Amino acid sequence: MRTKGSQVAIALVMLVLGLMLALQYRVQQRAASDLAHRRTEELVELLQKSETERRRLEQELAEVRATVSQLAQGQAALSALQEELAKAQMLAGLVPVKGPGVTVTMDDSKRPLQKGQDINAFLLHDEDVLRVVNELFAAGAEAMSLNGQRVIATTEVRCAGPTISVNRVMTAPPIVIQAIGDPDVLERALRMRGGVVEALSFWGIEVTVKKEAEVTVPAYAGSLRFQFGRVAQTGGK
Amino acid sequence: MWIPLAALVAGVLLGASIPLQVPIFYGRYLSVALLAALDSSFGGLRAGLEGKYDNTVFITGFFLNALLAAGLTYVGDRLGVELYFAALVAFGIRIFNNLGAIRHLLLAAWRKRQR
Repeated sequence: MRTKGSQVAIALVMLVLGLMLALQYRVQQRAASDLAHRRTEELVELLQKSETERRRLEQELAEVRATVSQLAQGQAALSALQEELAKAQMLAGLVPVKGPGVTVTMDDSKRPLQKGQDINAFLLHDEDVLRVVNELFAAGAEAMSLNGQRVIATTEVRCAGPTISVNRVMTAPPIVIQAIGDPDVLERALRMRGGVVEALSFWGIEVTVKKEAEVTVPAYAGSLRFQFGRVAQTGGK
Repeated sequence: MWIPLAALVAGVLLGASIPLQVPIFYGRYLSVALLAALDSSFGGLRAGLEGKYDNTVFITGFFLNALLAAGLTYVGDRLGVELYFAALVAFGIRIFNNLGAIRHLLLAAWRKRQR
């Protein structure tokens, strides 16, 4: 009944059956182990993800902190620079300054001229004004104006005919000098024995010194033009 | 009788040793196909004991049943119909029927020889 062909066919079928059995067994083994491990693997993956995220956030935090500290440093440097600038502007006379000080008014002598006397001795001259200005600065005046003209580094006080030129602006007596500084010190500097006021009063030139609780010295109104000079490289950067 | 058994053992060894990895996703279809194949095998054994064995019927039944079972399960999965369980139940019942029949036949043959 059984031919050779049927034997071979059955053998083939059995071979396939065995193959399927073994494969299915292996699949089942893997599936079981997978089920056991899946939870762990998921958790591990989750952990890795969170750690990656944490690292990223840490990096971001470090960057943000660096930016903040940079900004803070920039802020500090900026405010220091601004402070420096404000001082420099005050010194240069580019901003109005106010504070305690004195107001000095100088005028020509009202004394009647005697015969043989030189009228020039009784008139207010640039030298007189300069002496007062010099004395005030020597006494620690921090800012000064002559008839509203701020005294800056290039300010000239020079007779120009019957007027006095200050900052290239003609101004005539009475000259009102406003200076910021310690009012007592400034006043005493002017009024000291053998000082400016005494010397000038010899000629009858009127000098009044008034202590002020608050004086406002205006800013320099002219333009800043440097035709010849330019900044020479200083040390440092 | 020893040739099919040797072939079975060879198949098992081959399946255990070849580096073929059936994805777990397809393990489902392989299991249904395996059930169908087992059913066919026991059916063939039973037919042989009954003396009704037909080689062509056996071989075509073996492969076609396996493929159809796996294919139907696959289609059922695509359609959302769980034909997987239907195949399990159907082939399971047939396998137990076949086993029962084989037992009866073997017992009958044994008794005949006793007498």
